[in-house]
Amino acid sequence: MTVSAGPEAPVEQIHIALARSLRVALLHGGEEASRLAVVQLALASGAEIVARIRATDRRSFVEAAQALRDAKPDVVVVQGGSKDEGDLAELLEALRLGCGAQRPMPRVFGLVDTSVAHALRLRADPFGFERFASASELIEALRGLRRGGDDGDAALRDALIEDAARALASTTGTSALAVDVTERSTSLVLARPDDRVQAAHLVPLGLGMGADHVVVRASLDNVRRWLPSPIDAPALLERMFNRARGPEGAATTGAAVLLEMALAREAIAHALRDVADAGYDVAAMRSAPSILVTGRLASFPKAGQSLLVLVDGLEPSAVSTVFREPDEGGAERIGMVVAVSLRRPAKIRIVRASGRSVAQVAPGTFGLVAIGDDVDVAVSGSGVRGHGRSGKLGLLVDARGRPLSLPERDGERIPAVARWHAALDAAATW
Amino acid sequence: MTWRRERWSADHSLPIGVTKRAQVGERVRAGDIVAAGAILAGALRVRGARRLGVSPSDFDRELRMRVGADVVAGAVLARVGRRFPRSVTAPIDGRLLHVTVDGDLYIAPIVDRWTVRATLDGVISRSDDAVVEIEGEAWCLQGAAAYGPDAIGELTLGVEGRDADLAPARIDVRLGGRIIVAGARVSAEVITRAHACGVVGLVAGGVSPAGLRVVYGDAVTASGSPSRDERPTVLCIMGFGSGGLPQAVYEPFAALAGARAAIHTASARLFVFSTAAVGRPETPSPDLVRRDEGPVAAGPPDPAEAEPPEAEVEQEEPASER
Repeated sequence: MTVSAGPEAPVEQIHIALARSLRVALLHGGEEASRLAVVQLALASGAEIVARIRATDRRSFVEAAQALRDAKPDVVVVQGGSKDEGDLAELLEALRLGCGAQRPMPRVFGLVDTSVAHALRLRADPFGFERFASASELIEALRGLRRGGDDGDAALRDALIEDAARALASTTGTSALAVDVTERSTSLVLARPDDRVQAAHLVPLGLGMGADHVVVRASLDNVRRWLPSPIDAPALLERMFNRARGPEGAATTGAAVLLEMALAREAIAHALRDVADAGYDVAAMRSAPSILVTGRLASFPKAGQSLLVLVDGLEPSAVSTVFREPDEGGAERIGMVVAVSLRRPAKIRIVRASGRSVAQVAPGTFGLVAIGDDVDVAVSGSGVRGHGRSGKLGLLVDARGRPLSLPERDGERIPAVARWHAALDAAATW
Repeated sequence: MTWRRERWSADHSLPIGVTKRAQVGERVRAGDIVAAGAILAGALRVRGARRLGVSPSDFDRELRMRVGADVVAGAVLARVGRRFPRSVTAPIDGRLLHVTVDGDLYIAPIVDRWTVRATLDGVISRSDDAVVEIEGEAWCLQGAAAYGPDAIGELTLGVEGRDADLAPARIDVRLGGRIIVAGARVSAEVITRAHACGVVGLVAGGVSPAGLRVVYGDAVTASGSPSRDERPTVLCIMGFGSGGLPQAVYEPFAALAGARAAIHTASARLFVFSTAAVGRPETPSPDLVRRDEGPVAAGPPDPAEAEPPEAEVEQEEPASER
């Protein structure tokens, strides 16, 4: 993976570790802050959340123990304050009952005060209890487990995506969002110029082995609504389930590309929901001035396909420059998105070195303006203005409104979706 | 994907509340109960060590009942002292479930019972409160995904060709207790009808995902859905949709038909307990012989024509004993 936003960056050879799946159960205090802390930990570490139990959970002791036994966690993450100590101790008793015979035994990682850790360590016997002073240390420990002790030169994909977001933020001097969709995972990483990062790596949620999970979470109808051609639900479901059965290469047929595009939109949308649930700044992600797309999302045959999936799934809310960087290739600037929500027609003013132009934008407009320069844009009455470089495709004006809603009826929705595909030269043969 | 006869292991996860389980080294047959226990409701926490005035580490010595025992209200659970005794008694009828690090006791009322049956002929290789594992020799076909609880029954060929589908009309109550080879594809209608007729499991090349959702709910995924509840059992061998069975997979079904079999849903495997040489059928399947008799696919032989049970038992000795 090349970590660069420039047109001709040096290519750095990096080995990506084959991370193993890590199942984590989250036990947290009664306060919302405690829940957010453990969910953010799990998302940032790329672990699969298999159980979540709040200290004040209404489940009985036996139900909590059974839930933990069924979850078969590799690691149990505990977080809470001193007033949660009693409830967390009881949950650890449920863990002893539920997972005492599990082999290998789960490890217990605590992000708690020293005094709470001392009390909980006794109750976590016979599991190994490790206390971490900071969230970053705990995330690193979880990632270490995912690497499975393979600590050579190999880096986890998550870390590379975060590095790419940081590099883009530092190059452009603005917030940068990296969006990565692979066969089994979907990642959203927001990096700010001051090096702060909010990262979420959701597993399993992807285009191949995670495709069935996208369907379960989003519903089949929500995946199907993005297809520009009619397909009956059972046939689509069969395709999704068969995708999930094993690794696949890049989509080669038009139908496969369109299916992957539909799945990727919903994967991104659901990743955003999880990110919002974890208390991350979704508004900042949607308004990031620089957006980098990677993984399968960046490997679609046409740049317009990557751009269309991004704007449909992420629903950017401002002016953003979009880059894409496939796994086997260099980064390229593909376009600039100007997202506006309008109630009445407005004017968009585009200023570039060679002059300025003004165009009318009606609500619902969705199309490209072929410009390849550095531009300043401003939309009257909407408060949207920004600067960027429009790249290979040009400037995409998206006035479809937010949140983006699609017509319910096939007869209205399919022509609209087909029109959007055509506008970005993203159409493929079904 | 191919038939293989070798030594396999099968894990059987146990719910909370195990009462008794087979011990390591014990020989079992598929269908035998390897663990039994109680379904428990909300547990009560009872003060133990603190009430007796002993340290938690010494409390185990004072217990009069072992953890996991059924108790009645008022039963003495722990006791110290002779002239001035102090004791802990059960407040309710139920199960002494757990002793905490603090020396407190959890007692839970029993609301129902559960059992777990072996899915493999063989020997118990691991047995604890979470898992009973069996190792044994059998013919095995690895599937893509399985849904529902484990199933044990007689393997019966339900179709007349590797590309054929099992029609719902060919399923009736005479197939109760059997595992049916349902051909290239099973639909929701076949799954529900078979379950209603007492068929313990279905094996098919492909399964309609829409049908799976109808039967098992919208949360079902391609990786399978093993469960313990009362639901149909389906083993999907090739994938989803319609998957005509390869000849190398289908032909052995004919050779093995009539043998005891088990579907282990956690590993998506079909085990068949037979000494038949797969690929060279020694005797034709009863279903193939009776092809012209209506719903034969279904058709088990009449009781009068059936082999005596003793003969069947002799024919199906656990492979590991050979």
